[in-house]
Amino acid sequence: MSAKGPSSTLIEALTMQGRVIQALIMREMKTRFGRQRLGYAWALIEPLIYVAIFMALYSFRGREAPSGIPILPFLVTGVMPFMLFRNMVTRTLGALLSNRALLYFPQVTPFDLVVARALLEIGTAAFVFAIFMVAAQLSDQSLRVERPLDVVVWFAVGSLVGFGLGTIFSTLGPLFASIERLVPTVLLRPLFFTSGLFFTAEMIPAGVRDFALLNPMLHVTELVRSALFVGFESEYADPAYPIQTALVLTFIGLTMQRAMRKRVLTALQG
Amino acid sequence: MIELTNVSKAYRAGSGRRVVLDDVSVVFPTGVSVGILGLNGAGKSTLLRIIGGVEPPDRGSVRRDVRISWPIGFSGGLHTTMTGRENVQFIARIYGAPIRRVERFAEDFAELGVYFDMPVRTYSSGMRARLAFAVSMAAEFDCYLVDEVMAVGDARFNAKYRRAFKERREGASVIMVSHNPQTIMQECDIAVVLSRGKLTMYPSVDEAMSAYRELMST
Repeated sequence: MSAKGPSSTLIEALTMQGRVIQALIMREMKTRFGRQRLGYAWALIEPLIYVAIFMALYSFRGREAPSGIPILPFLVTGVMPFMLFRNMVTRTLGALLSNRALLYFPQVTPFDLVVARALLEIGTAAFVFAIFMVAAQLSDQSLRVERPLDVVVWFAVGSLVGFGLGTIFSTLGPLFASIERLVPTVLLRPLFFTSGLFFTAEMIPAGVRDFALLNPMLHVTELVRSALFVGFESEYADPAYPIQTALVLTFIGLTMQRAMRKRVLTALQG
Repeated sequence: MIELTNVSKAYRAGSGRRVVLDDVSVVFPTGVSVGILGLNGAGKSTLLRIIGGVEPPDRGSVRRDVRISWPIGFSGGLHTTMTGRENVQFIARIYGAPIRRVERFAEDFAELGVYFDMPVRTYSSGMRARLAFAVSMAAEFDCYLVDEVMAVGDARFNAKYRRAFKERREGASVIMVSHNPQTIMQECDIAVVLSRGKLTMYPSVDEAMSAYRELMST
């Protein structure tokens, strides 16, 4: 067994970090899925509920699916990237607060805690999305994905935006008690209604559109749909914008985590 | 070897700050057992937690090149929503220890019965301490950190713990905090005295004891 400090070699340090992150993921799987009765199924059911609600609204208003995309895949491609983004924010936000005891171990760093939760969210989302894709493929043999690699890329960019934000808040959360309460309402709710879950950028009234396009997740949704659906290309999405936002937020988040580490640990354990 | 370099630590106390460690630099040599002496509230336990890495210093660095335990019986690292078993598995994993063996040892040693598979938040403080002790004893370290309240639970568990610790202690050193001079004399080769943020190392326990007595009489 080894509990060595900073004097160990790089390989030892990486092995230890790998071990720690693996142990954290295994523990997070239990808290995330193991305690509820529905367990893993909930990861699948939650997006379906959103899709079902939006479907009901669409048919109630007798609206056509936009831009010739069938309504079901249209909604799934709106809900999935946003839910991954939202889960990344809320799960990494709480990573330190709900694991404060584990930070007593010198091996476990705040970085390990946010990364472990982020990896579990990405894995879960990938699994759920794969199930949806297989289901879509089975129900409609003619379905084809225009640029599969781009779909993966834009999901990843969206999740990185969420990771950056969540990491920033994970550092602020232990210092300001209101953060955990404010983020879902003040930040995530406006983003929910402007991320294009159930509309395209084109459908937004011109005056509001520029404002909505400040939300990087609207770009991500548009880019996922452009990559997935043959015949749909977003006129409004700017690929550089969400990528830059993701990188800047992640950089800020990790820098804050490092710079404020001692204050955060003292606040959590004091 | 455990090396503290320019380590400072202070707490907010009311409106002011209480300095526990003030620019402390010290080397604890490998294989040498060290007693930590100091008046109540001098920060002995804080020093032990900083050595063990469970608490970061405000300034300065700690270098460790031996396998060092967390303070024995310290239950702060137990996650309250995880079960006893899950906590043990987690700790074994991050230390790279054989999971099944550590799990079996801890389950047997802690004597928690069905509670071993219940969340730690349902435990009494005695049960938490027993689990914490069991995990510490399941793992092999070069250096054990011992805080003075070594008595835990009933006399029988205490005796069992002391037997286990004696076994672990062979070939390993300890760094211990105790009010009891007798314990320090028995267990330690040298001792340090912590007073007003400064740490003084003495080459023998006897010399440290006389400095400590002087401190108590002033």
